[in-house]
Amino acid sequence: MRFHRFVDPKDLPNFIMDEKVTILVTGGSGMLGYALQRVVKVEKRPNEEWIFINSKDGDLRDINQTRKVIEKYMPTHVLHLASAVSGMFRNIKFNSDVLLTNQSINTNVYQVCKDIKVKKLISCLSTCIYPDNVTYPITESMLHNGAPHITSIGYSFSKRMLDVMNRCYRMQYGCNFLSVIPTNLYGPNDNFSLEDAHVIPGLIHKVHRCKKEDTPLIVWGTGKPLRQFIFSYDLAKLMIWAIREYNDEENIFFSVDEDDEISIKELVEIVVEESGFKGDVVFDETKTDGQYKKTVSTAKMRQFLPDFKFTPIREGIRETIRWFEENYETART
Amino acid sequence: MEEKMTVLVTGGSGMLGYALQKVIKEKKRPGEEWIFIGSKDADLREIDETRTIFEKHMPTHVIHLAAIVGGVFKNMKNTCDILLTNQKINLNVYQVCKEIKVKKLISCLSTCVYPDKITYPITESMLHDGPPHPSNFGYSFAKRSIDAMNKCYRWQYGCPFVSVIPTSIYGPNDIFSVEDAHVIPGLINKVRMCKRANTPLVVWGTGKPLRQFIFSYDLAQLVIWAIREYDEEDNIFLSVDEKDEISIRELVEVIVEEYGFKGEVVFDDTKTDGQYKKTVSTAKLRKYLPDFKFTPIREGIRETIRWFEDNYDIART
Repeated sequence: MRFHRFVDPKDLPNFIMDEKVTILVTGGSGMLGYALQRVVKVEKRPNEEWIFINSKDGDLRDINQTRKVIEKYMPTHVLHLASAVSGMFRNIKFNSDVLLTNQSINTNVYQVCKDIKVKKLISCLSTCIYPDNVTYPITESMLHNGAPHITSIGYSFSKRMLDVMNRCYRMQYGCNFLSVIPTNLYGPNDNFSLEDAHVIPGLIHKVHRCKKEDTPLIVWGTGKPLRQFIFSYDLAKLMIWAIREYNDEENIFFSVDEDDEISIKELVEIVVEESGFKGDVVFDETKTDGQYKKTVSTAKMRQFLPDFKFTPIREGIRETIRWFEENYETART
Repeated sequence: MEEKMTVLVTGGSGMLGYALQKVIKEKKRPGEEWIFIGSKDADLREIDETRTIFEKHMPTHVIHLAAIVGGVFKNMKNTCDILLTNQKINLNVYQVCKEIKVKKLISCLSTCVYPDKITYPITESMLHDGPPHPSNFGYSFAKRSIDAMNKCYRWQYGCPFVSVIPTSIYGPNDIFSVEDAHVIPGLINKVRMCKRANTPLVVWGTGKPLRQFIFSYDLAQLVIWAIREYDEEDNIFLSVDEKDEISIRELVEVIVEEYGFKGEVVFDDTKTDGQYKKTVSTAKLRKYLPDFKFTPIREGIRETIRWFEDNYDIART
């Protein structure tokens, strides 16, 4: 009796092990780019060539420069991370710059990737561009089910348009373009500016200041809201997995599970302990909390990677604080 | 009123451009100059050509109508090109309008880019409350991006950019292709064909769904009002009221009568109807223009049929 094992093409890696693969990463000097560079050093396969580019290599807002830099390397795969500085997205005043910058970068990169027929283009969305008023946990398909948060419409809309372009390019030209969607990201080489940083880097910098100046740490809100955070090195591993093996047309969330949501209060405690801050911690409850839970579903991710282990948040924060302390002079503050 | 106003209309050779040209012949005010440009004058996909043509005329006001539009099938097949081309045109026009500091830029959205699954009647603010119908995905997002740009340019640069949102438009100089046209022009062309070929007219669906239609000359009058006097930040629907919704069946009857078609009319019930009602709210429009009178649909269709017959050879079919 002969047994034929049926292999679903979807389960096959999208390249033969010894076929050469050239992976170009745009936005290579950001937080995620930094993490990718470090993880790739360890996880690179013999048939892979990884190239990281940033604005110094070419201004992606210009189609000619985009074409030049991408054609220089002729990648088979592209990880598109380049975008307008994320800190600005919080400021209602910069909506136009962010929208227009991201639109031209994205349009150019997509155009060239189609022209040189890349085998896969993965861009990065973010859970923060999902609709404000929606039921939780959110699933990937809810992206267009409501308006994004209005004060960051420039950023959110330009990111949503990546999803639109994925679909349109796929529908009309069969291009293998898709997106991954990380939740709140933290790690080394983040933007730690006190005005426009996200929760974790903002806290880390604030605690650093309060420690130096011997002042109490004041945190806005009650500390009760729960959030999911993903450490940049974990996200880098997942992105490497995606560029190698994720072949679904639909987007996928990358996040720790709902079980690992952490309250802002717990987060503060960890940052305080890992920073060695001994001063007072005060929660200013007169300030609004924001939503209690904004849970993102990891059902899809777990379908593919049931055993993926995330870095425990204490460890991730410790690593981030250490990087921040060592690189304070050059960090984005 | 004494201040000179130079109004530049992009997409000036389309259906709405045609209507605007006819209406403005009578309604132009002293001190107003109206310039209509089409793709022959400049390729708005190119930033340099866009800048050249705008700087040539230095408009104080811009009505931006230029776009690639398609019917259902064209939209689906060319969804990527439609998205990218319209994005490019819009980005260029907005960029140049900011540079030359226009006093007002009005662009056109469409009720068809609103969410597919939503509660009715729809109001202007619901634009992003759900995905558009999949058949015009690329087109819809290019249009929705205009709304995002209006807000972003206004908040960052104080640019007075806004959109008007017509419901289904019909009138002379439309695209009358039977496969690709919208309801009214498609029916008009179909009836003409059936009349000549002496065949029955077959209409898909039960004829029960209700829709709001706006005659292009009425829309032109409203767009002229808007460029002169509408100063709000938020978009505004331009449509007949809910009470003037018309069923597809009634519409067919009007067209058949106005065309003098004597043959059989058959409703193919096996084909889907689409949504029963897609009512658009005119509350905002009526707040500003409580007395505006729309052309009765029979009259608008009569005018459209006459144009179609007179211009059959050059009509877009």
